[in-house]
Amino acid sequence: MKLKKIFILGAVVLLSTLLSGCSASAMRSNSWAGLSADTENAFLANGSFVYAINLNNGNVTWQYPAEKADSKESYFADPVLSDDGQVIVASLGTNHSLASLNIKNGYQNWTFSDAEGAWIASPLIVDETIYAPNTDGKLYALDLAGSFLWAKHIGGALWGQPVSDGDFLYLTSLDHHLYAFDLDKKEVTWQVELSGAIPGAAALGEDGKLYLGSFGSAMVAVDPQTQDIAWETPTKGWLWDPPALDDGTLYVGDLEGFFHALNMEDGSPLWDAFQPDGPIIGTPLVTDDFVVIGTESGIAYAMDKEGKTLWQQNIGGRLYTNPVQGGDLILFAPMENDSILVALDSDGRQVWQFTPEK
Amino acid sequence: MWDTYVIIPMTNVLLWIYDIIGHNFGVAIILFTILIRALTWPLTAQQLKGTQGMQELQKDKEWLDIQKKYKNDKEKLAQEQMRIYKERGINPFGSCLPTLIQFPIIIGLYQSIIRALAATPLSLLNLSRSLYPFLDVTKIIPLNSHFLWMDLGRPESINIFGFAVPSLAILVVITSYIQSRLMTPPSNPGDQSGAMGNMMSVYMPLFMGYIAMIYASGLSLYFITSNLLGITQYALMGRANWSNLIPGRKE
Repeated sequence: MKLKKIFILGAVVLLSTLLSGCSASAMRSNSWAGLSADTENAFLANGSFVYAINLNNGNVTWQYPAEKADSKESYFADPVLSDDGQVIVASLGTNHSLASLNIKNGYQNWTFSDAEGAWIASPLIVDETIYAPNTDGKLYALDLAGSFLWAKHIGGALWGQPVSDGDFLYLTSLDHHLYAFDLDKKEVTWQVELSGAIPGAAALGEDGKLYLGSFGSAMVAVDPQTQDIAWETPTKGWLWDPPALDDGTLYVGDLEGFFHALNMEDGSPLWDAFQPDGPIIGTPLVTDDFVVIGTESGIAYAMDKEGKTLWQQNIGGRLYTNPVQGGDLILFAPMENDSILVALDSDGRQVWQFTPEK
Repeated sequence: MWDTYVIIPMTNVLLWIYDIIGHNFGVAIILFTILIRALTWPLTAQQLKGTQGMQELQKDKEWLDIQKKYKNDKEKLAQEQMRIYKERGINPFGSCLPTLIQFPIIIGLYQSIIRALAATPLSLLNLSRSLYPFLDVTKIIPLNSHFLWMDLGRPESINIFGFAVPSLAILVVITSYIQSRLMTPPSNPGDQSGAMGNMMSVYMPLFMGYIAMIYASGLSLYFITSNLLGITQYALMGRANWSNLIPGRKE
């Protein structure tokens, strides 16, 4: 009987350990890092911490929280920088707070924790109002002091940062729709349905059109004038983050690992899709001279605007986060890597890397 | 290995059921549970056989004699019990096996539910890698996680007079308790195995209730459906020990 008792109790302990292990690992890595930069610092949202990293040397300017991490908060959305010196960060954790930090020292200005769901999308600041889409399907509006203004139900889970032309906010949803939200009327006035879920944001072109991909494996241009799809170009795989737009050309990578350059006028391919060595999720970074992408296999590629590879650099880990330009540096935030931020120069040489203390 | 042979097949079966029944994830979990119950039927039959064998042993003269004879020598008593188990072809662990086989299913199902509902970017990315070619999931992603009043990807509770009452977890405790009591053979006073069975029939439902309270409510739906199916099975086979449900009453 003793053996039976040990057997059953062991099984109970094993089950509880495995289940708690599942949820703990899910908490640790339920997304990839969020990254943004100004001329002095890179701002990295990575799990329980947000870091400001000095671009000159890769040292920590500040981290939030300053000491002990709150296990109920997980920051992954790209931090948003306001003109009045705030860094807005959004948490996917069980407490799912939206927090404002002082850009100079990382001190917390305010938090907002009244949303029903978690934050995956970065908020957008328009005319001193913070518009924050939530996974609960609502768009929350706060003033820059963090006071709640209103919330409107949009539909589906909202994972993408809104874009705005000043009159409308354009919101993407996992429910396959692009929503146009009238900022005056504070309501959705029109919408377009795509053939799949839209996990990333839309890109707003200088021509006023919206460019976005979906799990329907197609890049789509939507014309707000006609409130309809202007063109649709199939891709080899699902599309996640929004395309990069540059001088009439649209650059986007897909989950099958193909990199496309399309004519923004009609969606026609400008060159044969380039296939590096792994799926591409993040939005490409376009500089004056080249286009940079990161792949799941941890390699960064730079191409000229004709599609010719200029250099490649093995960063390590998985490159899901959008590469970001910080001063003259190109920043990558690899996932599952000891160094969580790596800076390259314009020739692809590593300048510094940031590894957090364990 | 675990991913390839457990989570991915479970996720695809769940998605396939979800697709063919009209995009209801709660019903998909219920049908999936029925499927699991059907697949583990031979083990349940073995469990019933083991339980019946144990019940018959309680009335067996030789069994009762050794209980008296070696009541002060637990080691010898255990040896004699094992001898009788061997002679009668009874596996004392046979009644545990269906419970234990549920553990990998529970863990796999929990991970499959979380992956299928894809509430975070990484789980959505993992889901995109987990799909068999025959499934066209473009139309069904994201899954509708709402079933009745529940969000199947989150722990459940109902607000009653300002208190969050975990109603599903309570149902899990009740149905687990009923099922385990119905399967527990009657025991004699001083019988160690009976005391052990009684202890487990109290602690195990509480443990399952705790799991149900803190994890995704889709898992609770699996527990409740599985327990109700078990109770129905025993009842239909005429093997349910209803007298065990009333504390202090023995058949």
